[in-house]
Amino acid sequence: MTGRERVQARIQGRPVDSLPLMPITMMFAADTIGVPYLEYVTDHRVLAEAQLETAAKFDFDYVSVISDPAREASDLGAKIQWFDNQPPAVVETEALLSDKASLAGLRLPEIAGGRRMLDRVEGVRLLAKQAGVNKTVEGWVEGPCAMAADLRGLNTLMLDLYDDEGFVIDLFEFVVAMETEFARAQVRAGATLIGIGDAAASLIGPKFYQRFVQPYEQKLIRSIRGIGVPVRLHICGNTRKILSGMGETGADIIDLDFLSPLAEGRAAMGGSQVLLGNMDPVRALRDGSPDSVFQRLEECYAAAGPRYIVGAGCEIARGTPRENVLAMTRFARGRN
Amino acid sequence: MADLAQLREAIINGNAKAAAAVVNTAIAEGTQPMALIHDYMIPAMDEVGRRFECEEYFVPELLLSARAMKAALEPLRPLLASSGIQPAGKVLIGTVKGDLHDIGKNLVSSLLEGGGFEVIDLGSDVSPGKFIEAAQSTGADIIALSALLTVTMPSMKYTIEALKEAGLRERVKVIIGGAPVTQQYADQIGADGYSENATLAVALARRLMSGTRQATA
Repeated sequence: MTGRERVQARIQGRPVDSLPLMPITMMFAADTIGVPYLEYVTDHRVLAEAQLETAAKFDFDYVSVISDPAREASDLGAKIQWFDNQPPAVVETEALLSDKASLAGLRLPEIAGGRRMLDRVEGVRLLAKQAGVNKTVEGWVEGPCAMAADLRGLNTLMLDLYDDEGFVIDLFEFVVAMETEFARAQVRAGATLIGIGDAAASLIGPKFYQRFVQPYEQKLIRSIRGIGVPVRLHICGNTRKILSGMGETGADIIDLDFLSPLAEGRAAMGGSQVLLGNMDPVRALRDGSPDSVFQRLEECYAAAGPRYIVGAGCEIARGTPRENVLAMTRFARGRN
Repeated sequence: MADLAQLREAIINGNAKAAAAVVNTAIAEGTQPMALIHDYMIPAMDEVGRRFECEEYFVPELLLSARAMKAALEPLRPLLASSGIQPAGKVLIGTVKGDLHDIGKNLVSSLLEGGGFEVIDLGSDVSPGKFIEAAQSTGADIIALSALLTVTMPSMKYTIEALKEAGLRERVKVIIGGAPVTQQYADQIGADGYSENATLAVALARRLMSGTRQATA
């Protein structure tokens, strides 16, 4: 099977010849080809080259345009801080929506306008052209909670959940409309899977997750699936209290971070949900040995059961030994 | 008459207006500021920390309670300053150079303040030089460093090295935390302590202060 076929088969519940292998790589990929991360996030040709090289070297089943959470915020006019060799970040103290009234005047960004969102779309196009036959090509958008936090400021958004329900709903509506269009542009460019990153959702607890975030994740996922591709939901952090809600979003693949045991995810979401994860990327993967990585994956697979995709809980950290990543490959290829 | 039990409840429930109102009434009635802080406000934030620890509370609730604590502290500050009452310790806190993630740092900051510490929050992306400057000007007892990214963790090491070069390392304790940070890393770079979460950070700071006070007694 090709990587693309393997991932598709896993999602559709058909047999696979070996476990799909889809660890997130960003800075690790840039380091693989020896480029500063600033180049990776500002030039889709560099990103594509790094992803292709990394996927080839470690036999990953996919390539991805995930890079940083600031692409949409940047095109909307948020202040971004750039770094030479790490991801850019939204400057929270000068958040675009520090004044809530600004939301009424905010317009959806023109993706074709030639800025950072377009660069991601072009990255998808290049990856699809060069590897789309054999690999799953993953586009990427921000989830409602993460994007709202980027625009409003994470700390402020947390209080808005109590202080101004109407504003939060309006903001989430805006985000879902924007991300649907962003996903559509990436699918048109050749993405065969869309990943949604919604890290901030792990901070808010089950009450607000069920009331505000999950319905909008669900809406976004339904819209993207309606475009014709499956969806991966990635929420970094401790999601133990929201696992069943995550399972009801309709995501085809759900990532679990290392703080959320796969066995709990399986129990909460049922046997048919495809789970991906979840070893600690720093303590287990970067600081472990090939043997300990292999052993940890045995445990993950046993806990997750057959509907499983090999990956770490989050991004493979910079500085992770090559042999440890190859242990993931060896594990995946030896199981089906 | 001020219903002081309401002060505790207001902070736990994140009701800033009610918390400030009880404090203002209590002050007008001549209640000692330290009695309010020690008997009601610190226990309230300890309870908030406990609920956060056992996942009854999450970040929104913690920030809401921290806001109520601040509102309750506000009218007390001038009284504390004029009476010369010392805080549990003085903590400089910041997310290290290159890192803009501040939610974890803010949680620690809130709980430390709720625990009776004076907290000077330097914000995010704080250079070693800025930590040193602030340590010199404030006479801080503890410097708390936060990092969310593996790539910014080395800034913790550089800050500790800079403190040594500035001759401040013996005078100030350094504690570190953040998702990728480990006890092993703390030992490696010579930090005085590591905490895996916000509530334990308060216990760590109290422990270090008690050690400092014993050493200087």
